[in-house]
Amino acid sequence: MSAGAATGGGSAAAGVIHDIGYQRYEGPRLGRFQIAAALCWHSLRSAFGIRRGAKAKIVPVLTFVIMCAPAVINAVAMALSSSHARIVDYDTYTPTLRVIIMLVFIAAQAPELVARDLRSKVLPLYFARPMRRWDYPAAKYAAFTLACLAMLDIPVLLLYLGTVFQVHGLSAVLAQTRALIPGLLVGLMWAVLLAAIGLALASVSGRRAFSTGAVAIFLFMTWILAHVLTTIASQQSRVGPGGPAGPPRGAFCAADFQTGTSAAAHLLGIISPFNVLDGVRQWLGGTNCGIVAKPGQYGAVYGIALLAFLGASLAGLFFRYARADVA
Amino acid sequence: MTDDRVIATTALTKRFGAAVTALDQLTVAVEPGITGLVGANGAGKSTLIKILLGLLPPTSGKAIVLGCDTATQPEQIRSLTGYMPEHDCLPPDVTATEFVTHMGRMAGVPPTAAKERAAESLRHVGLYEERYRQIGTYSTGMKQRVKLAQALVGDPRLLLLDEPTNGLDPAGRTAMLELIARIGQIGGDFDISVVVASHLLGEVEQICDHLIAIDGGRLLRAASITSFTSASQVLAIEVDEGTEALAAELARRGIDPLRAERELLVPIASAATFDAVRDAVADLGLPLNRMEQRRHRVEELFRDPAEAADIGAAMATDGRAR
Repeated sequence: MSAGAATGGGSAAAGVIHDIGYQRYEGPRLGRFQIAAALCWHSLRSAFGIRRGAKAKIVPVLTFVIMCAPAVINAVAMALSSSHARIVDYDTYTPTLRVIIMLVFIAAQAPELVARDLRSKVLPLYFARPMRRWDYPAAKYAAFTLACLAMLDIPVLLLYLGTVFQVHGLSAVLAQTRALIPGLLVGLMWAVLLAAIGLALASVSGRRAFSTGAVAIFLFMTWILAHVLTTIASQQSRVGPGGPAGPPRGAFCAADFQTGTSAAAHLLGIISPFNVLDGVRQWLGGTNCGIVAKPGQYGAVYGIALLAFLGASLAGLFFRYARADVA
Repeated sequence: MTDDRVIATTALTKRFGAAVTALDQLTVAVEPGITGLVGANGAGKSTLIKILLGLLPPTSGKAIVLGCDTATQPEQIRSLTGYMPEHDCLPPDVTATEFVTHMGRMAGVPPTAAKERAAESLRHVGLYEERYRQIGTYSTGMKQRVKLAQALVGDPRLLLLDEPTNGLDPAGRTAMLELIARIGQIGGDFDISVVVASHLLGEVEQICDHLIAIDGGRLLRAASITSFTSASQVLAIEVDEGTEALAAELARRGIDPLRAERELLVPIASAATFDAVRDAVADLGLPLNRMEQRRHRVEELFRDPAEAADIGAAMATDGRAR
């Protein structure tokens, strides 16, 4: 390394321009896990449009605000009502709104994490860095899981805060806290599965429109189709030979089946990841009404379906990057 | 392997299935400085680079890069190696500073140092003033410089540059070659060993200390640039008319020319060759259009070295003047 100096004027006080030449880097070098963590943090910020233009922030900010709205409405409603009773549940939050918002968020933001790199063919630069092939999809998956978790659980935490500040007594706060924990875990379950599905589908193409379309069509169509098939199957079982109509199982659970509903009505819903998530929630003990009827004896099937969705999505995602060209 | 060798491969072979042999028993050594890796498309240059980066396992053989085995220490190699791909690999909607900083982080440089090194790298490639512009607004030449900056940002000991002058105009090519020459100068400012993969021998020979020519995955020649080109001088002669007569006259004077399209190609045995050609043209009174000294082109190097001495055979497919 050479160093030279050239005076920029007649006097030293006028300043000196130093051409210090090329500087070697003698500082520490981070390992592959720290590099993957840096990529994860970078991707997490991308998921919310941070350090991107204003356009990139529209969808994440809008969806986040809408997702938080029920928590705010709950706080206001509690303040105005005489009973100070919470009107939104932690584990289901607002089920249909949650599905729609997460669908939009994942369809819009999963391509932000993976399709951009595919489109600009920047992957060889990542793979030429001191990380292994799997580190890239793993970091992206971790980042998007955290992004989905933020979308799901921050509103739940706001709901909790809005509630505990209006209840009286330690026991009431503890009761709210006990109810909160399953709600946060449900959010985690949603994030883990939906992030995997979203990234696997978004990485099929470098073209953002195709990626967004793949995610949106799959999540929306399976959700609608599951609803239609379940409705038809449950109606048929009510009018069929083995379908004596029973009373609804819960006054607010309009989706709950009556007794004697066929297995098909219970199981056709598992083609939608959203239904699977809600079915597993209820199978694991969730009692609040969600987007699907109680799975009853078929709860384990929902659990297996969740693992199958997760396994297939992660396998697809990692396989995609095993095939990606490296140079 | 001696310590000063940057790269050493031993009988490196890479097969894709039974039909495709990308590298075939390739044994080469790369010394510090600038080394040109020349070969036509499909010669195995990119496959060799992927193996050197530890991204592809060889079918057989061994490669050592900066003292590390590609099979067992690929991450160490990649932490000390900068790579500039041939194709476009830049996101259009981020600034050069952000992108190079991020690539510095991916090279294992901590955040603050990555920012400093990104600014420095962009300064060295001549983009300091433009560093806050989005890459999508850059010209092709500026994008090539960003690609070089991201390869430099991790302070590598070795740079692997794949067709660095691709898509550049003549002035851009010259500027890029000068920059590479400065980076790879032994004992210079940067003192980073550089391997330049290219299909343009004419370009790489301007800046290289050593040259490796491969074809069909096999080594053709590996030598210093001087020995590579000194024995391969030819003289291209183009006359408006009377090419056949000139060929006959040259043959009569003991020179065996090759007819290549509109020109005659003559091996330069000594300075007397120039005189003989001049005299032949003058004696016949032919209108001399062009007489140009040139070197072997990369196409010639794909032939057996013994054959390469045969200018006639080598030039048969060569229609491009340097």
